[in-house]
Amino acid sequence: MASSASTAPAPPAGAVPPGGERAKSREISVGALARLFVAPSIITMALVALFPILYAAYLSLFEYRGRQQQGFAGLDNYVDVLTGGRFWDAVITTLIFTVASVAFEFVIGMGFALLMNQAFVGRGVTRATILIPWVIPTVISAQMWFFMLNVNPGFINNLLGLGGFNWLGSEPWALVSIILADVWKTAPFVALLLLAGLQTIPEDMYEAARVDGATAWQRFTRITLPLLKPAIFVALLFRTVDSLRIFDLPAVMTGGSNGTTTLSVLVQRFIVAEPNPGVGATLSTLTFVVVLGIGVLFVGLIGRDLVIGDPED
Amino acid sequence: MSTLPAATDETVRQANPETRRPRRARQGTVSRTSTSGAVGKTAMLLVIFLWCLFPFVWLIFTSLKQGSAALSDPNLFRGPFGVQNYAAVLQANFSYNLRNSAIIAGVTTIVCVVIGSFAAYALARLPFKNKVLILSGVLAVSLFPPVALVPPLYEAWRAVGLLNTYPGLFIPYIAFTLPLTIFILTTFFASIPKEMEEAARVDGASPFQAFYRVVLPLAAPGVFAAAILVFVFAWNEYLLASVFCPRDLACQTVPVRIVNFTGAVQFQRPIGTITAACVIVTIPMILLVLAFQRRIVAGLTAGGVKG
Repeated sequence: MASSASTAPAPPAGAVPPGGERAKSREISVGALARLFVAPSIITMALVALFPILYAAYLSLFEYRGRQQQGFAGLDNYVDVLTGGRFWDAVITTLIFTVASVAFEFVIGMGFALLMNQAFVGRGVTRATILIPWVIPTVISAQMWFFMLNVNPGFINNLLGLGGFNWLGSEPWALVSIILADVWKTAPFVALLLLAGLQTIPEDMYEAARVDGATAWQRFTRITLPLLKPAIFVALLFRTVDSLRIFDLPAVMTGGSNGTTTLSVLVQRFIVAEPNPGVGATLSTLTFVVVLGIGVLFVGLIGRDLVIGDPED
Repeated sequence: MSTLPAATDETVRQANPETRRPRRARQGTVSRTSTSGAVGKTAMLLVIFLWCLFPFVWLIFTSLKQGSAALSDPNLFRGPFGVQNYAAVLQANFSYNLRNSAIIAGVTTIVCVVIGSFAAYALARLPFKNKVLILSGVLAVSLFPPVALVPPLYEAWRAVGLLNTYPGLFIPYIAFTLPLTIFILTTFFASIPKEMEEAARVDGASPFQAFYRVVLPLAAPGVFAAAILVFVFAWNEYLLASVFCPRDLACQTVPVRIVNFTGAVQFQRPIGTITAACVIVTIPMILLVLAFQRRIVAGLTAGGVKG
């Protein structure tokens, strides 16, 4: 393919992808190569991500009893789900979990990142350590926290002198426990992303500010935060989208009881515990709309602002 | 695990030497290096160590406890200790789960990195009509809630007989990790000087040879970073694994098994066995992190943060 080793200089790196300005034969063959290169990825993602979404939308229009299809139901499943309480309960639980965990992760992650950025010794060791909670399967951290928060042996209760406090068996502490487990695992991850951003801020800016008499707080709000905006945006986007799809922690720690049924747990219930492909597909379609909607909104609101208001120093 | 957007504009900017901002070397060692401050900061690092490591201290001690009296004792350091729990894990065929997870995560990693690097190269370097559209689509897939795919894929896999098989898991894993791979690798490919490729083209290499012989070796660190992240995702995934292969030992993965260990008493989670299994799974992961922390951090932050 495309063997015409032309000596014509390629378009300058970083230029807008040439549309039709150069209609040379070489570009056409390179274009074919480009399509060939992209095709396997696009086909895989379309087949496994796009097609199931459409199939779910189709399934959601049918009535099922158990796994048996009963016939076309129109939008009945949607009416049932949207007028019932379980979907909305799950939405609220998921939103509370997301807001609380992302907020704590951001504050703690920022603290860790600032600490690590200041440290002179052991930066490598700290960075490796901070990756450990990230690399551990969520299921393992869920089991760990399940046992530590258990009433018997009651390790945490013993540590804090709380006696027989039932963390996982009562509302709202079950949800609090899950938020705690999530914050433990992902605050270090947020710290890593923010640390990478901090390391791109030139030290002389702080020097100049210090010469001008700026306080530590002023340096943080006037230099660090604005220049850290891209890293903050990425960290918040990841964490928000990830929290909205939370499944492993509630599934393992509480099985969704005591006010911890998130959207993902609810959908899974209609496949395994109460199989009903129609209602399951309806819930999964709604979950898809909610999560992707919030994600796109996030990118649109903050991302666009970020791109337009890009601080070119 | 999530993916790294924002590669779109970064790619363009990083590839263009003119618009790249002057490299601001971080000539640290500023005046505030007072000894007491350094000591204080180092002490503060201990908070981070404690945060990250104390659950593992608990995990290891608990897994080594023997007998129900010790295991139900909230005092971590009261024995008797022994390796009984580890023997129990190995007798419970846990090696099958380790094998299944290794195969599924391995296949996912290889396929994903191969087809992902082709796509990333095309997006970073080759002229393209719908580049923005494709990148937006990839970003959208990275925002997908996996649970939305569970009901339809379950029905589809049931119809074609992919439930309780390896492909039933690694096919969706590949699709889920492709966005991450493509974003990371697009950033890495874009950061390779274009002159290298052009020189190869001048010497008579085809576009494919330029990619295969010149760009790919230079992007090896990025490819490796992406591979680690994909492997970790596939190794840790629980939702799809628990629905598409809940019990069959021929495909049940480690996370599913960790949740389903049953003890002598039904409905009671066997704390000793589970913690021992957790330690067995955790130690290789920690070694992976210690060995490749630089690569992992580079992968995690590629495309997300400006260099």
